[in-house]
Amino acid sequence: MKGYRKYFGKKIVWFLITLVVAVILNFLLPRLMPNDPVAAITGKMAQGVTDASASQRIYEKYQEEFGTNKPLVEQFFIFVKNLFHGDLGTSFSQYPRKVSEIIASSIAWTIALQFPAIIVGWLIGNILGALAAYIKKGFDKVLLPLSLFMSSIPAFGMAVILLVLFGVRLKIAPTAGGYNYDMIPNLSWPFVKSVIAHYQLPFWSIVLVSIGGQAVGMRSMSIYELNADYVKYARFLGIKDRTIVRYVFRNAMLPQITGLAMSIGTMVGGALVAERVFSYPGLGSTLFTAISGGDYPLISAATLIITLMVLTISFVLDIVYGFIDPRVKAAQFDS
Amino acid sequence: MAKKMLEVNGLTTKYVTRFREDVYAVDHVSLSIEEGKSLGIAGESGCGKSTLALSLMGYYFAPLHYMSGDIIVDGKNISGLDPDVVRKTVLGSDVAYIPQAAMNALNPTRRIITFIEDVIRAHDPKANKKDIREMAEKRFEEVHLPKDALDKYAVELSGGMKQRVVIAISTILSPKVLIADEPSSALDVTSQKVVIKMLRDMMEKGFIRSMIFITHELPLLYNVTDDIMVMYAGQIVERGSASEMVFDPVHPYSRGLMHSILVPEDGTRDNKLTAIPGTPPNLKKPPQGCRFAERCKYAQPSCRYNAMPLVEFAPGRAYRCSFSVEQLKEVYKSED
Amino acid sequence: MKNTLRQVFHSSKFVAGFIIFVGILLLITFYPLFHPGNPLDMIGVGTFAEPGTYVSLYDSVGTDTETLKLPDAADKRLDAVLGKEDRIKMVAWLSAMEVDIEGLDYMDTEALMDLWRANYDDSARPNGMTKAERNYYKRLNESLSSMGAGGQMKVFENDAAGEEQQIATITPEDYVNVKNVANTKTLVLGTDNFGRDVLKEMVSATRTSIMIGLIAGVVATAIGLLLGLLSGYMGGFVDDAIMFITNLFTVVPSFILLILISYSIGQEQRGASVVALVIGLTSWTWTCRSVRSQVISLRNRDHVNLSKLSGHSLARILLTDILPYIASYVVMAFILQVSSGILSEAQLSLLGLGPKTTEVPTLGLMMNWAMLYSAHLNGSWWAYFPVILMITLISFSLNLMNTGLDQVFNPTLR
Repeated sequence: MKGYRKYFGKKIVWFLITLVVAVILNFLLPRLMPNDPVAAITGKMAQGVTDASASQRIYEKYQEEFGTNKPLVEQFFIFVKNLFHGDLGTSFSQYPRKVSEIIASSIAWTIALQFPAIIVGWLIGNILGALAAYIKKGFDKVLLPLSLFMSSIPAFGMAVILLVLFGVRLKIAPTAGGYNYDMIPNLSWPFVKSVIAHYQLPFWSIVLVSIGGQAVGMRSMSIYELNADYVKYARFLGIKDRTIVRYVFRNAMLPQITGLAMSIGTMVGGALVAERVFSYPGLGSTLFTAISGGDYPLISAATLIITLMVLTISFVLDIVYGFIDPRVKAAQFDS
Repeated sequence: MAKKMLEVNGLTTKYVTRFREDVYAVDHVSLSIEEGKSLGIAGESGCGKSTLALSLMGYYFAPLHYMSGDIIVDGKNISGLDPDVVRKTVLGSDVAYIPQAAMNALNPTRRIITFIEDVIRAHDPKANKKDIREMAEKRFEEVHLPKDALDKYAVELSGGMKQRVVIAISTILSPKVLIADEPSSALDVTSQKVVIKMLRDMMEKGFIRSMIFITHELPLLYNVTDDIMVMYAGQIVERGSASEMVFDPVHPYSRGLMHSILVPEDGTRDNKLTAIPGTPPNLKKPPQGCRFAERCKYAQPSCRYNAMPLVEFAPGRAYRCSFSVEQLKEVYKSED
Repeated sequence: MKNTLRQVFHSSKFVAGFIIFVGILLLITFYPLFHPGNPLDMIGVGTFAEPGTYVSLYDSVGTDTETLKLPDAADKRLDAVLGKEDRIKMVAWLSAMEVDIEGLDYMDTEALMDLWRANYDDSARPNGMTKAERNYYKRLNESLSSMGAGGQMKVFENDAAGEEQQIATITPEDYVNVKNVANTKTLVLGTDNFGRDVLKEMVSATRTSIMIGLIAGVVATAIGLLLGLLSGYMGGFVDDAIMFITNLFTVVPSFILLILISYSIGQEQRGASVVALVIGLTSWTWTCRSVRSQVISLRNRDHVNLSKLSGHSLARILLTDILPYIASYVVMAFILQVSSGILSEAQLSLLGLGPKTTEVPTLGLMMNWAMLYSAHLNGSWWAYFPVILMITLISFSLNLMNTGLDQVFNPTLR
């Protein structure tokens, strides 16, 4: 039990450290850059304003709003304080909406789309990878190159292909949005149906992209496990092949959880871009409109939220892994 | 005369490499062990002794293939049986195996007791959990292993403990023949002694009815087994009782093994013999004559062309060399 | 070394990947030699011209003609001119006049025209049809019959005095040899939303994207290798410090860092090489981790200890006693970095954070333009599909090579 407590303790401390660093980076990076974001925004907002003092006033107003006229350390504490109150500032491109409000309206879409899709892709990929390792021969000969090819298709590419194929050509799925544009979100059956219909293409494009990489990883992992000494020993004790395959699958699958925790950031990144292709009302599209609108507070908030999401997921996966894989405990004793 | 637990006649098995080449790693090997006795098999790495250990199980999977010969365990010939019958009725109960790398022999994500359940259920699908636990606990107690090890994962056990647990699991069905493939080579000297003591102890208690102990350290066998066999390039080159083989080896290779100093070389698990220069022959193309001729300092030109049979020259003693026993002893005497 | 190379080239996966990659490299090297010019030239005024060969209509008029009597020319002409809508309207008229249209395929021009010619009557007044609609049918019928009858066309030019002078008469049986027309242009992949030649643009974009991948890969591999070597070999505090940073940047998504940095740099400063550099700076952690674990397994080997005892410098030990043993891993990591660098650029561009758009095209920028101008919704597949395919092929070839190498160096994986 002590080993576990140590493991969890370590993970929690690590989670907090990364959290703090992520917040600091999110705060610091844009401010360290030679470009003054406030000046950039002022330039945008004051377009056509010829009066120098007027644009100076606009500049000062935004300085005030962002607090960039205060020393960096003080700015940081204000930033953190506001963060704790859930205050992420005011959006520029959708003035006067609050950033927190925009984020709140899009985050659920992203979570509901990406995590099920990534997990389904992960599961299918792992099963295929294990099968490829176990069956070998023809199946493996086809599956490995195919998986490699699939994992080479960028997420946005898969999104576009599915969109054109099923949305534009076959017209069996809607091409944009999270629900019919003439509907107001509510809990009625037609609305839910519309949401489900709009969900399909983004969902499957993320699933398909995730499968390939996972299958390749799982294949290597399974082959490694199939050649492990314990497999030979179990065979010579007369244990059934089916039982042994279960051992191998389980032992190869468990490290894939850590693999998922480590690659979830990359996968979410790809999926965010896929959201844009479908104009899906999630964080990816929000981020895209924020970037094209030069909406600095919204970009900052969206990236922060995405970081927090990824950190939390990998933390949870790490904890789950620690519970179900006894090898972790041994590693803890070792170090 | 005591009952024969294991009798092997002319067993030949081969490996098929990725390039479809045949490697005859076990070449017409015959041996027998009586109840309560143990046999040591010694040789350099690559001499085929580990392959012999696997071949004796009667259970083959790629790249190892059975070619010919009989394996008779307690009167039952297991060499021609259906693999699934072998798995269910022979492995574990008739012939059991202790692997070379006990460190990694246990599934890291299964508790010891669950693994024992898998082993027992593989032979008796109806066995119930409670009985299995009782049996395992009793056995662990008898071999002086802590009972709480049963509820641990392999990764939670120390190296020596892991090795002993592996021995206990391998013998949980009280096998007629136990094949131990270098069970002590990865351990420190103290743990080695513990393991050997444990094996002998189990022999005495009747948990193991006969044993084959494989090692590359010939001298080690003196304290462990009753008889010793020396293997070279897939063949037996000499056999005899432990004391005879250790103090009075006849074959030049056995003598070399006995007198060699083992120098562990870094980076490989193999150990090279300094006393015998050269390396074992490539078994993809075994030499026509005596397989040791290339490295034998007494070899005559004819040795390279004339293959020698294994010749019994005294009860229980046999060797494979073109020189007579007297000639060899003469030469050895002159050297000392 | 030679032996290793031979083994590598025996791996079918590596060879397949290598061939694809070299093919792409040949394309981007030689295509510009044969088709020089600025890839960003907007040769088309309209958007999304379809792939095909364009023949100058103006030049065709002056070109010598041959008279060819082709039996199916009239039908083909009709086929090309009759739009889907007109066909549906024709069927509607026929059914309004209660003509038997059972089994008629409206895309079958011949059958449709036969029925039409047999039944159309401009004095007929189908039920519920307005005058405007009847006039539409009248016009349609006139243009259909003039086409069938093979009317002539007259071409006029304004002469110096501003008078219209007839310079040519064109009959339906006049043909010009494309070879003789002064100006023709084959656009293998059509044009994009700006009227640029997509193929030329894509070749240039591929070159830039591969450059970005290479720069990013070199930067990431250099940083990862250096930190990994130091961390793995020195151990202790150095290891702890480096691993702390490495782990940190492994969990904080590099994609997000990329977005933040790219945005902060600003559109103006964001050239292709800057983007490449930023990608490299945010993606070295994987290399660092794998190099470190390799070094740890090496650092207590005899030859390393011997070097240590002989008093060799740290740099020398790392370079001569450790690096050669992990070279294969470093090469594999580099290949993956190149591939992910290209992907990162594309994703950044799609979020509007790619290299600045006025200098060079990149695959990501092309994709972004295609999406901005809804190429995927208006059927202009040539504007985005070749780009997706190119990214996929580059990445696939690199992945294949990587897998091939992996199988050579880890034989169990075969």
